[in-house]
Amino acid sequence: MAPSNPIGDVKSADLELVGRIKSGDGAAFEALYRQHATRLYNLASRMMGGYGEADDLLQDIFLLAYRKIGSFRGESSLGTWLYRLAMNHCLDVLRNRQTRMGQQTDSLDEPDAMPVASPVPVLGAVSRIDLERAIETLPAACRAAFLLHDVEGFGHQEVGAMLGISEGTSKSQVHKARMRIRSYLAHGSKKKES
Amino acid sequence: MNCADLNEALVDLVDGRLDGAERRDVERHLEGCAECRALVEDLRSIRAAAFMLDRREPNAGAWPKLQAAVASEPAPRGRLLMMTGRGNWPVWLGAAAALILATVIGVMPLMNRAPQTHDDSAQAGDPNEPATVESVTAEFAAAEKHYQKAIDDLQTIANKDTGELDPNVAAVLQKNLGVIDQAIAESREALKSQPSSANAQNGLFDALRTKVALLQQTVELINEMRKGNQAEAGRRVQTLAQ
Repeated sequence: MAPSNPIGDVKSADLELVGRIKSGDGAAFEALYRQHATRLYNLASRMMGGYGEADDLLQDIFLLAYRKIGSFRGESSLGTWLYRLAMNHCLDVLRNRQTRMGQQTDSLDEPDAMPVASPVPVLGAVSRIDLERAIETLPAACRAAFLLHDVEGFGHQEVGAMLGISEGTSKSQVHKARMRIRSYLAHGSKKKES
Repeated sequence: MNCADLNEALVDLVDGRLDGAERRDVERHLEGCAECRALVEDLRSIRAAAFMLDRREPNAGAWPKLQAAVASEPAPRGRLLMMTGRGNWPVWLGAAAALILATVIGVMPLMNRAPQTHDDSAQAGDPNEPATVESVTAEFAAAEKHYQKAIDDLQTIANKDTGELDPNVAAVLQKNLGVIDQAIAESREALKSQPSSANAQNGLFDALRTKVALLQQTVELINEMRKGNQAEAGRRVQTLAQ
């Protein structure tokens, strides 16, 4: 019996789906949408810091994907290609927004948040509402890495491919995000106590 | 290793992907540093909470709106045709089951570990300071608690969604967790008879680590299945198999 090859199966499935979309198969494009829409919607809404723009962004992302599907060569998975396109679009929108508001775009070498020194854990159970608020305060680059890795469950190699950064940079961005969130939550807790 | 060195390894540690000598160095540091233990516990809490954030659903009208927009676009090649049904469920479920079975094989040495017959307590603790049975036991208890917290967090997530796994995969998973739990119980027994034995402590840590790793793999797999994300789920199997 031939050994199972999940990698080959996935690549073949991706190329087959793209081929069908390129040949005008509407069901294939719907399949792409059904597979990724919820996850991309979650990413887009958390990248933008709310639901308001997420519906429009989702539409833009899939329209872009439809227009650019011909450029997919199967060098990465279709998912990685799509999330890279989506994250680039979200980051572009954020940059434009920041430019309009006269803010500077964050860079990858921004200094880490001040560490919280404590001999005991300061957080306990992390509430979802507090965590959502903390995520909104993150700089865009580390927010993107954190959302892809910790919320959506992609590996660092995949996150790197999606954001156009190295695996090591993905790790450092996720770490930076976690430290900033801890700092935000710890200070928030102290404010509540006082 | 000092606190600054730990910073380098924190991401892999919190993700449960630290191996070999580096992992042992980190654990040795954590046993003696309450501040770093607290930091690791907080980062693990954040990671667990992030994974459990609510899933937001796109507006029900999003697809029809997109469909209309696409219809007015020139197709990448040709035109959009009539919409039809969806594809089949993934072919990688069998691979996932095989992967989980492979994890069991990795755990078997833990099951077969012979009880330690010599006292190796000299290997435990900071070599620069004389270790007492009480101090080593206290440090070990703190480190064990740290692992147990990670297991509890992951177990909560895994229990919540295990019902969504294919029944065959879920059955194999439960069996494997049972094997690991047995290894943990045996390691605890070995440790009870030799509380200051570094080998006995490492045995229990190995078993706890294995459980953390299996639960993390399970959670990641469930994550992909829950979203019906066939292509990424297949890639997850690929990542797990590395």
